[in-house]
Amino acid sequence: MIVTRAPLRISFVGGGTDIKEFYEKYPGRVISSTIDKYVYTVINYGHLLDEIVVKYSETESVKELKDIKHGRFREALRKLNIDGTGLEIASFADLPGKTGLGSSSSFSTALLKALHAHLDKPVTKQVLTELACELEIDILKEPIGKQDQYATAFGGLNVFQFNTDGTVDIEPVYIDYKVRADLEDHTILFFTGTTRSASSVLSEQKESMADKFATYKEMSDSVPAFKEALQNGDFKELATMLNAGWEKKKTLAGKISNDVLDTLYTTGIDSGAWGGKVLGAGGGGCLFFIAPPDAHKSIVQALEEKATESGLKGFKKIDFDFTQSGTDILFNSSPYHA
Amino acid sequence: MDDVSKHLKDAPAEEISKAINLLQAVYERDGRIYIFGNGGSLAIATHWVSDFNKTVFSHNLTGHPRRFQAMRLPSTEEEMSAWANDVGYDMVFAGPLQNYIQESDCVIAISSSGNSPNIIKAVELAKARHVPVIGLSGFSKDNKLNNLADAKILIETDPGAYTVVESVHHAILHLLTSYFQDYFDNLTERNERRKK
Repeated sequence: MIVTRAPLRISFVGGGTDIKEFYEKYPGRVISSTIDKYVYTVINYGHLLDEIVVKYSETESVKELKDIKHGRFREALRKLNIDGTGLEIASFADLPGKTGLGSSSSFSTALLKALHAHLDKPVTKQVLTELACELEIDILKEPIGKQDQYATAFGGLNVFQFNTDGTVDIEPVYIDYKVRADLEDHTILFFTGTTRSASSVLSEQKESMADKFATYKEMSDSVPAFKEALQNGDFKELATMLNAGWEKKKTLAGKISNDVLDTLYTTGIDSGAWGGKVLGAGGGGCLFFIAPPDAHKSIVQALEEKATESGLKGFKKIDFDFTQSGTDILFNSSPYHA
Repeated sequence: MDDVSKHLKDAPAEEISKAINLLQAVYERDGRIYIFGNGGSLAIATHWVSDFNKTVFSHNLTGHPRRFQAMRLPSTEEEMSAWANDVGYDMVFAGPLQNYIQESDCVIAISSSGNSPNIIKAVELAKARHVPVIGLSGFSKDNKLNNLADAKILIETDPGAYTVVESVHHAILHLLTSYFQDYFDNLTERNERRKK
């Protein structure tokens, strides 16, 4: 059996500038950190199994690779020339998908890492990232960017710069544990109870890229200042920048926010948060706030009440820590593996 | 002593930060840390194991079910002599490392010259398995360990300045020990606060 895991991530500012339509013309930048919530892939060897079994929210048992309905399982196996017969491949996650925490790319890197372990082939973080991008963007034609694949493969707190020639610079942001712990004490993460597909929001964004180019440019250019404020532990400034980023982002596509999200966001600010944003492409998913620690209790209470009023049954606070590790093999029982 | 304090002040802060992140990541994924060196550097390796396995958790020994898993290689003199006598001295680290190494692990290699063949053999094995390497070296920046390491903790001195390089390496070990001791103390305190 092989077990791999890939972390989810919180993207602070710059999301959207990692789309090709933008970074081909001007360097995109994103600053994000991985958190201690993961997507796992398990590969089991079914010695009497004469088919391929993939397990996610559904279970598929098929004789031939081409019959797998789940695009990522199918195309990842095909890309690595794995026939798949006799393999049971399952995916598990600490949190549901479509929450704005980059889980779909975590799924891809965890899966690709596990398949490499199955092949007894070590893979670098860079190659793993590029394979995940190829799988999602080139093969499956998803209208997404590249930030999530990098974030989850490399792990930690990083600035990613997406250059016009297609290369990506990875700049780790060094903060000591005191600043990291202080940041954790200032942040609150909520799952709104609604999910959305990033693709639907991003497709709309892509179409209007030319009109909104200046806004994207401002978002990309705001990343270095955010990094500096983070290193200085200036959380109030970070919150102001998150707000500004979120206000800009809302103008990029109609689907990014909606009345319920706006109400929840305003409730957070009114009950003491310095700033915040909806994570990921928008349209639903998770809300993230930066707030003084002594205001957390009243913010949580106010948002929970508002969520109940709005009929959001799945609304819940998510406790998390920022992490350093990326996509890793946790277990590999194959006796001959390299 | 002037030399030691000068090089301490010039210690590569960013590379030490990189090493901290690598060690943090290994802790998160419950991997192992293999440490080795020759002569005085082997003494630093052994000291490192003791500090990371016990000292960093000293203030709350029962409170951290997950701890660092640091090992000095080779872990016994018998293995050292068996590899040296039967195979060759260049295999005393790479030989035992092969028994343990997994992708979730990390290596700390200590060599003042950065060119000891037995150290380089083991580091090459780690690199082939995509295991991150923290390299503590000295003398010239063009040494093999410094070129191969992911975190390049180099103390640039005149060739042969072993006492200076080893003293600074030792101080860096203590710096990392203090950092993680503070980190785990802070974690204990925060976890108690969060429970309330």
